[in-house]
Amino acid sequence: MKNYANHIKVFGFLSLLLLVIPLQAQESPKLTDPEIASVAVVANQIDIDFAKIALQKSKNKEVQDFANRMIEDHTAVIEQAVALVTKLKVTPIDNAVSQSLLKQAEDTKVNLEKAKKNDFDKYYVDNEVAYHKQVIGAVNDLLIPETKNQELKELLETVVPALETHLGHAQMLQNKLTSKK
Amino acid sequence: MKPFLKHYHFQTVILVSIILLWGFGLKENTTQEPQVHTVEIIKMKFVPQNLIVKKGDKVIWINKDFILHDVTDEKNDKWTSKPFGKNESWSKVITQDEAYFCSLHKVMKGTIKIES
Repeated sequence: MKNYANHIKVFGFLSLLLLVIPLQAQESPKLTDPEIASVAVVANQIDIDFAKIALQKSKNKEVQDFANRMIEDHTAVIEQAVALVTKLKVTPIDNAVSQSLLKQAEDTKVNLEKAKKNDFDKYYVDNEVAYHKQVIGAVNDLLIPETKNQELKELLETVVPALETHLGHAQMLQNKLTSKK
Repeated sequence: MKPFLKHYHFQTVILVSIILLWGFGLKENTTQEPQVHTVEIIKMKFVPQNLIVKKGDKVIWINKDFILHDVTDEKNDKWTSKPFGKNESWSKVITQDEAYFCSLHKVMKGTIKIES
């Protein structure tokens, strides 16, 4: 299990670097609002995909409840984002950050699928902690400061407390799973 | 005439005083009627998080988030609102101290205390 924990830590750090480096390499913020909308939708969809794997593989009720919560809450966020871009007549535009997130997610999904039954819960919950930390950092430090449209900015600001609540919930589960071992 | 007027005036003062005292008494009674308190669920928090009420007061929780929430007895799971959505509300008459949480988002917590 230590190996998994280390992998998660390394993965989380590398993921953050992959997300931050392309943006910091640029002199000034370059993401446009349609690109930010795309990142928001993609980041939420990724967590829904992780949760769907958890529902298939976990037998732990608390982990299943958490996964169901991720599906419902992140679906609600996507619905709000889609409603807003529809109202603003903006089409989300694919971009390097969205693609980077998707690429990382594909690797994580492979690892989640491969995780042995006994290790799955901890692997999934550790990843949820790392992923939510990563996304909270990205939304606060990159997306919100770069957003021009006030309504999109407000939506992102509203989503942060939800992400923080998810992180708290995931950390609670993480502690429970660790103390069981 | 003068003594009569004086007497009449005195009676009026007494009568008005009684009416005023009675009025205040009634007003005092109305403040003892059960009060309604509102807790907003906003940005994943119960606001106010800690509430002091009188026994028999009603608390209404209004969900201002676009995410589903519920209000559930934290310690024994004795009562729950079941999930409710944006701008929907749920209420409960408070008869004892309560510690509650959102069972969907277990880190969201609140308390209600009966004023002693």
